[in-house]
Amino acid sequence: MALTLEIVTPEARVYSDTIDTVVIPTVQGEIGILAGHIPLLTQVEYGELRVTKGGVETRLAVGKGFAQVEGDVVSVLAEHAITESKIDEAVVEEALKRAEQTLRFTKPEDFEYERLQNMVNFIGAQLALKRRGR
Amino acid sequence: MASTRDIRRRIKSVKNTRQITKAMELVAASKMKKAQQAALAGRAYTQLMAKMLARLGPRIAEVKHPFLDQREIKTRGILLITTDKGLCGPLNANLFKHVVEVRSPAKFFSIGRKGSQFLARTKRDLVAEFTVSDRLAFAEVKPVVELMVKAYLEGQIDTIEVIYPRFKNTLVQEPTVRPVLPLTSLGEFIANAQREAGDVTTTEDNRDMVFEPSAQEVLEALIPFYVNRHIYQLVVSARASEHSARMVAMKTAKDNATKLLGDLTLEYNKARQAAITAEILEIAAAQFASV
Repeated sequence: MALTLEIVTPEARVYSDTIDTVVIPTVQGEIGILAGHIPLLTQVEYGELRVTKGGVETRLAVGKGFAQVEGDVVSVLAEHAITESKIDEAVVEEALKRAEQTLRFTKPEDFEYERLQNMVNFIGAQLALKRRGR
Repeated sequence: MASTRDIRRRIKSVKNTRQITKAMELVAASKMKKAQQAALAGRAYTQLMAKMLARLGPRIAEVKHPFLDQREIKTRGILLITTDKGLCGPLNANLFKHVVEVRSPAKFFSIGRKGSQFLARTKRDLVAEFTVSDRLAFAEVKPVVELMVKAYLEGQIDTIEVIYPRFKNTLVQEPTVRPVLPLTSLGEFIANAQREAGDVTTTEDNRDMVFEPSAQEVLEALIPFYVNRHIYQLVVSARASEHSARMVAMKTAKDNATKLLGDLTLEYNKARQAAITAEILEIAAAQFASV
């Protein structure tokens, strides 16, 4: 029996397919999910999400969010998500530099701070994923 | 009767106006399409979130959260979503009617220049104003929500309400006051979320759900997330309303101009004919006199 995975962000439905297994980064560490998993609702952390389908592994960088497993349907609700092939390292590095620059002038109590921190985290996750892929 | 030259001048100016309103109608139409698509793109996300909240529903009794507390309402916190630009029919004026009806002490937050101007003019307590770009990003709405939530948690305001033009369809936009916080009863709130997200189908799986790290923690993370999302959705809806209202207003203006143009052309032709007739009469009279 196959699992169905859908990854949804505010902008679009990033991924929707039947898969074999998925490994999700959560606040309590990575969890691997196979068909027949018990119902689960958990918080997703910044990191890489690995999907295996027919022996081929696809990796995605995901942002904060939630994941739900129910009846062989895995739904991931994340603020951001991007597949590895779509990450452009040059663009991402540039963005990281800019975000860190701004972050330095922002105090932790500013409301911008959290957003920037989130951005830096997500960019970090993207870079880690891209570099490991080589 | 006005001279033919005066009428010609008026025809020219009405033609110009028609051209401008026509162009604006087309621009508004294309923007409306985009705004509606944006609203649709976010739909899957909201649906999924409602589904998750629904699953948490039965476990709610165990959870305490400041967003769920019903406090005595001393100061209302109201977010007014208006447009930056005018020429969109009665859209903003209808919203202001709702603002005027607010009699109890309230602090206002505003998205859109028109609303900020109105609040300043009527000397209401405007805490902060924001402008968002046309291609609305989630990150642009977040500071607004964060500021309001902060004020709410600190007790400066006791509710968070949103006054916005709800997008019903292209012709109808309904000025609506939508309470966001506190979430008086979560059951009601979930039902609301589900209704908004449309059809929420739950899959057949009646084994007990496991929450990691715990139901309390998941809910604590999920609720602020939902509030963010909810307000974003309202702004998107307001955006769609704005462009549809502008399109309709511009279409009416264009139609009026066309009608006026017809009337003016008729009047012009009459005047021209009258002038010609008068001229012929004059020539004929002169001839008779010289015979």
